[in-house]
Parts: sequence; structure tokens; C-alpha cells
Amino acid sequence: MRFVSFRLATSVLATTALLLIANAPSQAQTRAETLRYVTGASVNTLDPNIPGSTRESFALSMSTYDRLVAFGRKQLNGKWVFDLGTITGELAESYDVSPDGLKLTFRLRKDAKFQDGSPVTAEDVKWSLDRCVTAPILGKAQLLTGSLTSADQFKVIDPLTIEVTLPKPDKLALPNLATVYPMIINSKLAKAHATPDDPWATAWLKEHTAGSGAYVVETFKPGEQVILKRDENWNRGSANKPAFFKRVIVQSVPEPATRANLVERGDADLVVDLQASDVQSLEAKGKLKVISTPQYNAITYVSMNNQMPPFDNVNVRRAIAYALPYDDMFKAALFGRGAPLFGVTWPDGKPLNGIYPFQQPVKMDLDKAREYLKAAGLPEGFSTTFSFNVGQSSTAEPMAALVKESLAKIGIKVDIQKLPDAQMSTQINEKKLPFFTEGIVAWLPSTDYFYRNFYTGNQRWNYSSINNPDLAAIAQEARFEPDKAKYEEAGRKLNAMHFDLMPQIMLWQPNQDAVMASSIEGYTYEFHRQVDYRDVSRK
Amino acid sequence: MVMTGLGATMARAGRRLLSSLPALFGVLVFTFLLMRVLPGDPAVFFASGPNAGKEEIEQIRKQMGLNKSVPEQLVFYLSDIGHGNLGRSMMTGQPVLKDLRERLPASLELTFTALLIALIAAVPLGVVAALRPGSVVDHGVRLFCALGVCVPTFVSGLLLIYVFYYLLGLAPDPTGRIDVFTSLPPQRTGFLSVDFLLAGDFDGWWAACKQLVLPAASMALFVIAPLARITRASMLVSLGSDFVRTARSVGLSWRKVVVTYALRNAILPVITIAGIVFSTMLGANVLVEKVFSWPGVASYALDALLSSDYAPVQGFVLLMASLFVLVNLVVDICYGIADPRVSIE
Repeated sequence: MRFVSFRLATSVLATTALLLIANAPSQAQTRAETLRYVTGASVNTLDPNIPGSTRESFALSMSTYDRLVAFGRKQLNGKWVFDLGTITGELAESYDVSPDGLKLTFRLRKDAKFQDGSPVTAEDVKWSLDRCVTAPILGKAQLLTGSLTSADQFKVIDPLTIEVTLPKPDKLALPNLATVYPMIINSKLAKAHATPDDPWATAWLKEHTAGSGAYVVETFKPGEQVILKRDENWNRGSANKPAFFKRVIVQSVPEPATRANLVERGDADLVVDLQASDVQSLEAKGKLKVISTPQYNAITYVSMNNQMPPFDNVNVRRAIAYALPYDDMFKAALFGRGAPLFGVTWPDGKPLNGIYPFQQPVKMDLDKAREYLKAAGLPEGFSTTFSFNVGQSSTAEPMAALVKESLAKIGIKVDIQKLPDAQMSTQINEKKLPFFTEGIVAWLPSTDYFYRNFYTGNQRWNYSSINNPDLAAIAQEARFEPDKAKYEEAGRKLNAMHFDLMPQIMLWQPNQDAVMASSIEGYTYEFHRQVDYRDVSRK
Repeated sequence: MVMTGLGATMARAGRRLLSSLPALFGVLVFTFLLMRVLPGDPAVFFASGPNAGKEEIEQIRKQMGLNKSVPEQLVFYLSDIGHGNLGRSMMTGQPVLKDLRERLPASLELTFTALLIALIAAVPLGVVAALRPGSVVDHGVRLFCALGVCVPTFVSGLLLIYVFYYLLGLAPDPTGRIDVFTSLPPQRTGFLSVDFLLAGDFDGWWAACKQLVLPAASMALFVIAPLARITRASMLVSLGSDFVRTARSVGLSWRKVVVTYALRNAILPVITIAGIVFSTMLGANVLVEKVFSWPGVASYALDALLSSDYAPVQGFVLLMASLFVLVNLVVDICYGIADPRVSIE
């Protein structure tokens, strides 16, 4: 009896194996038209506006929804990156900015259709933008940075024309409309699912899409995978063609070593969040394409709480700035994969330009650090803690050890504190950490934006808790400065103040290491720091 | 006779179930309070868009019900549970009950398979070792067990992936329960290997089984040791006992002596240990789930814990506590079947 069943089992196995082999060619064909993208994060909502949505959700929405306008792309050191300077139409066929800069007029494409086949109208655009500035969603805070705050600012002129009015000529109004949040929603479909409690259909849009984007969501398993199908009628790409890949699989693979294995074996096509050590070894093997772009809208800092002793003393902050072993940290944490923000010389002691972030003229100089400590009245040093979050431990841990070792040489005793991510963000928000490392990202990286958001106000992103009225005033004024030379001058002033006050220490801009099969082309570094699936194609 | 035996077992099981309810309630309240005592504000964590400020944090706080006092929150939470609502996860954006319902079968399937592999390997190993104590075979088994326990599951998992997937290419890519290109069967039990069979899709079944082998093996490696050691110890006792000597002396076949008499009497402690091993595996297989991207409950709970997402953690602990109660119940019933004399009250 036992032998019979065993034989049966083997024959079943053999048959299935044969079937698998027979199926192989047809599978291979569709495989070439499929993009399999693996990531350590996951998509948790189909509407990126929902509070708590992840970066992967942002990226997904770029492909499932269209916006009025989109960023162009440019080459930076031979690599494609998004270009804040060129804004092209996406759903808008063309747009005009009035001479006084107070009116933006968008004319919609006549052939644009939502995924259910209904045409995209100015009413839909108005409803979507109204939603963005009135509903309690993430878009509100983003659009605020472009002076877009009220539904009265959006006016339907005719079914294909919409006008946006601004209170001031704000440079960031137009770029803001190209960011993740102000996506254009099929208002009829969404309204059909709105409830009196939820007039903007946030609950429904979290689980469903109602867009005109390049890809239709086929299956959505939060935390596991999303499968997208190409919308054959979509023609908002550069060459008026649908997107290249027929299918896109976005799959969560939490273990970084497994992601590296998958892409090396050719089972995955593209990954952007590998460990630096894996990227280095994959690059050395030369089988895959590795595109490393410094994340020029992101910065890693060593921050000090400017309101908390002893870091309220500028000389203590300067001492720290001259006591960090920058080169060793850069090598240990990132394997040198990034753009350093330290170690230049300013010939006449003035900033080289008015662009933020910039390379500061600091390098490790322990004698100088000791002098500053003496000037601060702390020649014997002091004790403090240095915190980082668990999610960043692969880069922050080796860095923290080097900080501790180096500061010990000038008498500063450092205890390293590793905090779970939620705990870290809470403590930063409550301004309880004296000394820590964190990173920031800005979607619309302009000098005044950085200084206004990351160096002013009693808010979470002001890591150093700096409260300098002069700095805040210059940054605020620069925001609406139409004259380029004056703007540059303000930037230089701000950068000089940054170096003088040393509220926090800019370390570097880590690379985005995109590792992909050699057949993948067109990868572009986007402002949301994820892959835009519409950019890529296969040779 | 049989009826009364079965009836007694069932009555005992029912009483046990009732007496475990206060414990479950305690677990519920304790986890609830613990999550709120832990530092880390989920609202701040989830308000992490590049422009999220105070307003967004308040918004999330309201959404999670954190703007109310803790006793009020507890009352709401308990009444929600009474209505079968475990809350909503911020992390996945889904109701916790739905998440758990989708993920529990994945964890159970993995754990059952691992336990099955472990038992199939451990019991014969233990028996063989007990039959020749002190021999080369015995030492070999001991060495194997020691190795299995020494190597943490994620290390053995990564090693298995490296050898069978990366080097040899025999195993499918270690990403979850099924190859992304295979279409799923209609969901009936949630156990893919069963659902594929019910749907008559043998290709799919084979694909699901291939995905299951490596993670189950790396989990099994870790638990073979306790099972094999217990089998060996209790077999030694059993083999040295009077009834085995009697059975041998009356000339019963070797098979009858070892399997029917010795092993059946030795199996009780193995069942106990298997029950405990099963419960711990369910919660502790988080590393294996992470390494193999297995969409199970343990990795779900860990992610939730790191981001201070209260509802999923509370739901997970409640689920684990209930499962623990159930497993103990099953073990009790198995006792009754293995040894009818047992009647633990």
C-alpha cells in the first residue's frame, strides 16, 4: 500500500514537472513585458493623501493618477534626475502664467480619459484641488508651501480650462501642483462613494483608484504586493505612447540580502533600497546596472538641540563640528556612496554660492575643537547621549561608534542610544534629544524652502530647535523674491549664518543606489525618491 | 464506553475553555495598557510626510482615538472587541481583523509544515538514538541536534537561501507563499497547499509546496533538538520498563515491541513538548517570516510594534493567547487518546 502511494506521488511530481517545463516559454514572453520591482517598504494606501501613507504609496500614485503638470528631467553628472526647473503638462496640454505671476491658467488635453472611460474635465480638476486644500489630508500642508490654501483659488473657466489665483507671486505654486498630493481624481466616481461624514471619499479612495494614470491597479495586498496593469489608452508619456511595461509587480521583500539575491539572479528587475555593502559587491561583479545618484533633495545631519545646555553654547557646537571624523564616518556608514557636505575651503571666508545644502568648510581638527571647548568654558568636556533610530542602524551604528570614539579624545563622553523609530520621532517632536543623527528630505528643494522648513519654528523638522529671528526673516523674504541676484545674495547670507551659528552639522547626501537588470533603461531619480514606473523600459 | 470517554473529554475541554476566559481578559487589558505606557507616539511616527506638522499629528491622534483619556479608550476598545472589531492598522490601512485573517493561515501553514517535518525527523532520530545509547548513531544525533539549536533560524534560513536558491537555483525565489506569476486559487481554507488541491490545480500546488520547503525546513531545524531529545529520554525509560522486557521475553516481533509498546508509552511527553513548541514557533517565527518575506502574523506584529501601531499589536497578542488556549486544549485531548487513563482536571 505504502509503495503504491509513493509511486503515485512520484508520477504526480513528474507530470507537474513536465507541465512546468512545457509552460516555460510562454511565461518567459510575458516576463519581458513585466517589471518586477522589489522593496523593503510597502504600499499601505492607494491614496497618498491619507495620513500615515508610505513612500511606496507615493510612488504608486504617480503611476495610477495624473497631475496637471509634471517635472521634466535633466542629466546630472551623466545620470537622469528630476528637474525642478522645467515643468511640463501632464493632464494640462499647456499652461500660462500671467505677467504679474498671480494667475495660472491650465488648458486640459481633449483626449484625456479616466480609467473608467469618462473624459477628464475642469470640474474634476477643481474637485480634486479643492479636496487637497480642504479635506483633512496630507496635501493641505504641502500645498500651503505654494500659497494654495483655499478652494476659492480654483476656478473653472470652461470644461477644459481651469484658473488658479494666487495671493502673491509664489515660485513654488506651480511645482507644488506636480507633487504627489494634488492628483486629479474622477470626481463623479469619488462622489458616488462619499458619505455625509466623509464628503471627500477618503475611506473609499484608500482602497480604490479613480484616476487617469498610466497603470490600473489589478491586485492590492497591503504590506505584500501590488500588481499593476498598463492602461493602453494613456498617452501622457513623453512620446504620446502608453507606458512601456504591460505589467508592474511591486513586491515587499523585507530582508535586504534577499532583495540583493533576487536582483542578482535576475528574478527581480529593479531595487533601490539595498545595503551599501551589497551595492558595492554587485557593482564589482559588473553583471547588473548600478545607477547611483546623490539624493540632492535629502540631507543627513548630526543635530544638536540649540535650546539645551551645553549645546545652547555656539562654541560647543563648533567644537563638535571640528571633532567629527568626517572621512571615516563617510566610509564606514555609506562606503563613500554619496555627496559629502564637509571639507571644502572658503578662500575668502565666505560661502561659495547661495545654494543650500552646501559643503561647509569643516574638517576634523581636534586642537581647534579643544580651543572651542575652552572658549565655551568646558575645557574638561561633558557627558551627553547620541541617539539614532533602529530603522537607520545599518548606517547610523558605525557612525555613532566613530562619533563616540572621536569625541572622547576632547573629553566629551558619549552614550549611544538606539531608539525604535516611533520613539525617536516622538522625542524629536518633543525636543527632548540633545544630540542625534537624522535625515530630511524636501520635495521642492530651494534654498529658502530648506531654511524656512528646517531652521525655523517650534516644529518637528527644526531638528536643531534653532530660534534665530534674523535667519527666519531673511528666509521668509527670499520666498517671494523675484530677482535672481537678490535671491542668491539672501542664500549666501543664510549659508554664512549657518556656518557661523552651526545649529547642526550637515554630513552628506546619501546616494540612491538603483540596482537593475542590464536590460532596464530610463531610470530617473525622482523627487519622491522612489521609482516612477513610467520612466523605465526594457531593451 | 467510547461515548462516555469522548463525552468526558469534551466536558473537560469545555470546562478548561471557560476557565481560560479570565486569563484572556487579563491579557487583553494588560497589552492595552502596556502599549500606552511604552514611549513612542504613533501619531508622530505616522505623520511623516515631508510637510506633516502639528495639525496632521492631531488628525492621526483623533483617527486612532488617542485624543481621549486612557480609561475611555479602554472602554471603547473593549466594546469594539465585543462587536468583533479589533481596530484598524495604521501601517497597512486595513482592519486588523482582516489582516490577521489573511495572515494567520500563512503562519499556520508554515508552522504546521515545520512541525510535521520536525516530528518526522525527530521521532525516528530519538528512537534510533535510544535503541543504541552511547553508540556512534547516538552521538551523531546529539551533534545534529546541537547544531540545529546553535544556529539561529534566520542564519539557517539565509544559508538555505544561499545554497538552494542563489548557488544551485533549485528553490524558487524566497519571496512569500507563492511565485508572483502564479495565479491564486479561490480562497477556501487560506492554506494554499489545500486550496490548490481543492481547485484541482496541481501546478499551483507544486509551486506553493516549493515555496514552503525552505522556510519550513529552517524552522524545523531549530525545533528538532528538543523533540528528538525528549523522544530519546522517554524511549530509554520506556525500553527499560517491565512491560517491554515481558514483551521481548514472550518473543513478540521487534516492530511490535518498539513501535506498539515502547513508543506509544513514550509519546506522551513528546506531545506535550510538541504543543509548547508549536505555540512558541507561531510567535517566534518572525525571523523566518522576515527572511522569506512570508506574509505571516509574527512579522506583521513586529512591524506594528516598531511603529507603535497599537491595534495590530493588541490584536496579535489576543490571537496568540487564544491560540495558546486552543493548543493546550488539543494537547489535553491528544493525551486522552494516547493514554485513556489520563484525566487531568
